[in-house]
Amino acid sequence: MRPKHAPRVIDQGSVWILVAVPSIWAGHFLLSYWIAAIWCAKLPAGASLAEIRWVIAGLGALSIAAIAGLGVIAVRRYGGEFLVFEEITESSERGRDRFIGHVTLLLCGLSVMAVLFTVIPGLVIGQC
Amino acid sequence: MLPLVLTGCAGRHNWLASAGAEAQAVEDLFWVLILGAAVIWSLVIGLAIYAHQTSAPRKEPQARRFIVWGGAALPTLVVGGLLIWGMVILRDITAKEGDLTVRVDGERWWWRVIYDGPDGPFTTANEIRLPQGQTTLFRLTADDVIHSFWVPALGGKMDMIPGRETSLTLTPLEQGNWGGICAEYCGGAHALMRFDTIVMPPDDFRTWLAAEAAPAEIAADDPGWQVFLDEGCGACHTLRGTEAQGPVGPDLTHMASRERLGAGIYAMTPENLSRWITDTDRMKPEVDMPAYPHLSGAELEALVTFLMSLE
Repeated sequence: MRPKHAPRVIDQGSVWILVAVPSIWAGHFLLSYWIAAIWCAKLPAGASLAEIRWVIAGLGALSIAAIAGLGVIAVRRYGGEFLVFEEITESSERGRDRFIGHVTLLLCGLSVMAVLFTVIPGLVIGQC
Repeated sequence: MLPLVLTGCAGRHNWLASAGAEAQAVEDLFWVLILGAAVIWSLVIGLAIYAHQTSAPRKEPQARRFIVWGGAALPTLVVGGLLIWGMVILRDITAKEGDLTVRVDGERWWWRVIYDGPDGPFTTANEIRLPQGQTTLFRLTADDVIHSFWVPALGGKMDMIPGRETSLTLTPLEQGNWGGICAEYCGGAHALMRFDTIVMPPDDFRTWLAAEAAPAEIAADDPGWQVFLDEGCGACHTLRGTEAQGPVGPDLTHMASRERLGAGIYAMTPENLSRWITDTDRMKPEVDMPAYPHLSGAELEALVTFLMSLE
């Protein structure tokens, strides 16, 4: 299936999807870090993280949903696939789109793992 | 080379001694890590040698599949599993509960130790006694720079940070005198900032705690006590129950009952104590305590006899 309406490479800003996925990961990491740091700094030593861990987990769920949404766009608009047995070497509009879709999907996988690795300590460690 | 390296794996600082529940938890993780790493390393190197030597035709799809599963999926699972396991251990050894609470304050270069005694908290120094089989919660602070509290054979370690309180639990399982050290470089005599951790049966511990909480027993006409007062020792050191209430240096109320002198570095003998008083900076470079080389032989002997009587 030839994807439709895929923006052309740099001049129409199509690479944003590559940047957006790891940016969600970075944003989730920073927000989690800031929230926990401010929470723990404002409360006495050894305070509980119980209230905050669900905020971090909720942010994690939102981040993963957003990453999944971008993954869907990568598949639908760019024709992205998890390519294991094939290389994308075609020098054409379609080849470039497929390449961006493919890389976006890989970044989605990496970013979901990274967000999960940020959420896990929040769920396991119960105190500041 | 190997025997030199392995000398670190024995004795009272051995973190593989399994003398405490927390050390055992870390040791279990260590063995799984090291054995797992050995298996994976052998597999990878074996495959590399095989790939180099074999003349079998290359099958590209197989190789790619191997990279996806062996190079991406498996490491993610292994690292994720180890992360969770390590987190659970960290959570358990920093738990905020214990049968007993001991506060330890890191100073350059010694340890102020505060127990909850039968009649309220009291201070001692440089030697920690713990009841076997019970969990002790340590509440850790620092007075000047960052130190780190570590009894390798029992568990830990944990940073001691000025202005903050950190916590650590130790559940010693084996009796003995286990070495404790400062594990964060804190200045000149960092390597000489040590302590003894003596694990005893719970009944003996209670007896010791009551004795340690008691004030010093001093005869007012003891000539050594007079030297102690005349030289101003009480400005820095406390002898509970007397006018000596200095908070700067280690509490000396029962100093002779400790096994070591100078924060866990010299045997508690009259000879070492005598040298400590006259050559303090040589015994422990950069130590805050001034030396007292001007004491006459008789004064020094009286002072040492007096201090060695503080049991």
